[in-house]
Amino acid sequence: MRVKWMLTLASFKMFFRQREAIIWSFILPLFIVSIFAFVRFDSLGRIRLGIVDESGGRSADLLNALEQVETFRTDLGSRETELEELERGERDLVLVISGSVPGDDSNSVLVYTNEEKVQETQIGVLVLQRCLDERLLQRTPLAGRIIVRAQPVKSRNLTYIDFLLPGVLSMSIMQMGIFGVAFSFVSLKKRGILRRLSVTPISPADFIVAQVATRVAVLMLQIALMVAAGMLFMHFHFEGNLLSMFLIGVLGAVVFLSVGFAIAGVSKSEDQVAPLANIITLPLLFLSGIFFDRSSLPVFLQRITDFSPLTHIADAMRAVAIDGASLLDVGPQLLGLVIWGILACLVAVKLFRWE
Amino acid sequence: MPSPVLHVRDLSKKYGDLVAVDGVSFDVEREEVFGILGPNGAGKTTTLECIETLRPFEAGEILLDGVDVRVNPQEVKRRIGVQLQSSSFFDKLDLSELLSLFGELYSRRVDAVRLLEEVELEDKARSRVGELSGGQKQRFSIAAALVNDPLVLFLDEPTTGLDPQARRHLWGVVRKIRSEGKTVVLTTHYMDEAEVLCDRVAIMDHGKIIALDPPQVLVQRLLSGGFKRERVQHQASLEDVFLDLTGHSLREE
Repeated sequence: MRVKWMLTLASFKMFFRQREAIIWSFILPLFIVSIFAFVRFDSLGRIRLGIVDESGGRSADLLNALEQVETFRTDLGSRETELEELERGERDLVLVISGSVPGDDSNSVLVYTNEEKVQETQIGVLVLQRCLDERLLQRTPLAGRIIVRAQPVKSRNLTYIDFLLPGVLSMSIMQMGIFGVAFSFVSLKKRGILRRLSVTPISPADFIVAQVATRVAVLMLQIALMVAAGMLFMHFHFEGNLLSMFLIGVLGAVVFLSVGFAIAGVSKSEDQVAPLANIITLPLLFLSGIFFDRSSLPVFLQRITDFSPLTHIADAMRAVAIDGASLLDVGPQLLGLVIWGILACLVAVKLFRWE
Repeated sequence: MPSPVLHVRDLSKKYGDLVAVDGVSFDVEREEVFGILGPNGAGKTTTLECIETLRPFEAGEILLDGVDVRVNPQEVKRRIGVQLQSSSFFDKLDLSELLSLFGELYSRRVDAVRLLEEVELEDKARSRVGELSGGQKQRFSIAAALVNDPLVLFLDEPTTGLDPQARRHLWGVVRKIRSEGKTVVLTTHYMDEAEVLCDRVAIMDHGKIIALDPPQVLVQRLLSGGFKRERVQHQASLEDVFLDLTGHSLREE
C-alpha cells in the first residue's frame, strides 16, 4: 500500500513539473471556454414569445395574429412549462391569456418578462401592445385600450458557455486518458524506464494504480477549477453537485484511461501513438456534442453517437451542471459509461505490454 | 566452504531458432568481482538478464544466494542491484528524489546523500539525470542499483562509451563497492578493464563459456603455450600518453 502511495506522490510531482501537461490539462480548456465566453451566438434573431392559452380556444384568432408577427418566434405551451422555459432563459416573454380574452371580456393582459433581457422585453411588450391595439381597431364598438401588464421574472439565461464548459471538461477527460497515458507510457517503455522498474520488487499493478490515481486526482482538480473559473468569470450557471461531477469524471476517466493503456500496448513509439489516438478522439470530439448540439447532426449519426462514451460524459455533466440533475437522473449515461468502462478495461488488459 | 552466492548450471536460452545462451555454467563466490567478456552477440547480456529475472529461459538452473530464480523471482529481485545497459530514469525528479523513490520500491528509506557520496555525485543531489554527463549517468545508475543494499550488483557494460578518465573513475567506484563486501558481476568488452577489475573472468562466444579463470592465469596459460606478441610490448600505451597529456582527473563538469 505504501509503495502505491509513494509512487502516486512521485508521479503527481512529476506531472506538475511537466509544463506541457499543465498547459494541456488546465490552461487550454480554460482558454477554449473563455474565447467562447465572449461570443454570443444567441444575441441575434427574433424575440422568443411563449404563449399560454387558457381561454379554451376562444382566442384562436389572436394566436393566429401573433404567429404572423415577424418579430416573434412563438411557442405554445402550458403555464407551467412556459414559465419553466422562461426561468431557464429560453423565452424572453410569456403571454398568458387567461379565461378572459383580451379585448372581448377583459382590458388587461399579463406578460411575464425575462428580467435580464431588457432590450428584448421592451420591444416585445411594445409589439404585443400594438398587435392587441390593431386587433381592437378592427372592431366596433371600441372597447377601450388594453393594458399590457408586465411581470418581470428572474431567469437563468443559459448561454453557449453553459453548453460548452461541461463539453470541454468531457473533452479534457478524454484527452488526458488517451494522450496522457498513451504517450507517457510509450515513452517510459522506449526509454527503458519500465524495464528498470521491472527489476525492482514492485508489481506492474502498483505502477499502474499510481498512474491512474494521479490522473484521477488531476481530473478532479480540473473539474473544480473549470467550474470555479466558469462561475467567477464567465457567468457559468452551475446548479449541480460537484461530487456528482467527480463521479461522472472518474467513470469517464476509466473508459479513456483504458483506451490509453490499450494504445500504449500496441504502439512501439510515440509516432505510432499519434495516429491511433487521433483516429479515436477526433470523430468522438466532433460527433459527441462537445462544441455543438448533436441535434444538428443527421439523424442516423445521432442514433450512432447516442452510444458514444463521450456523449454519455458530456450529457451527464451538462445535466448535472445546468439542470442540477441527480445521479439517478443521469442513470442511463452512468450505466453506459460503466459498460464502456468494462469493455475498455478488458481490451486494455489484453493489449497492454510492459515491453 | 561457503556456498557460492550465484550458481548457474546448464543455462540455455533461445530466441526462436537462435541459441543465445547454450548450456552455460559458472559459480560466483562472495565478495568477488566476476567479469563476463565476449564480443557483441556472445550472449553476455542475455545471461545477465536471465539471472536478473528479466527473461524466462528454457533449460538450466540459477540460484542466487540459494534462491531459485524461476521459483521465487521476487525474492531474487530483493537481493540484487541491477544496472541495465541502457536504462534511463524519470526525467522530472532530481537525483536525490529518484533514489528515495527507488528505495520506496523496496520499502526502504534510503540515505540519498550517502549513496550519492558512494558514487561521488554528492554535489549533484538536486540535478536531474538529463543534466549529467555519460560517466555521471552511469555512476548514478550504480547508486540506484545500491538502494536496497544488494548482495550482488550486476553491471552490464558500465563503461561503454565513456572517455578514459570517466572509465577510470568508474573503476574506482566499483573497487570501493567491492571493498565494502559486495559481490559484483559485470560484462565488458574492454580487456584492460577486466584485467584491472575482475578477480575471475568468463570468456563467452556463441553462447558458450570458452574460458573461466583469473585474468593472470589466462595470460600465463597463453604465454606458456609459446605465444609471443608480434610487436614488441612498450612499457606505455597510447592511452597512457592520452591520460598523461590530459590528466587523470575528471572534467565532466
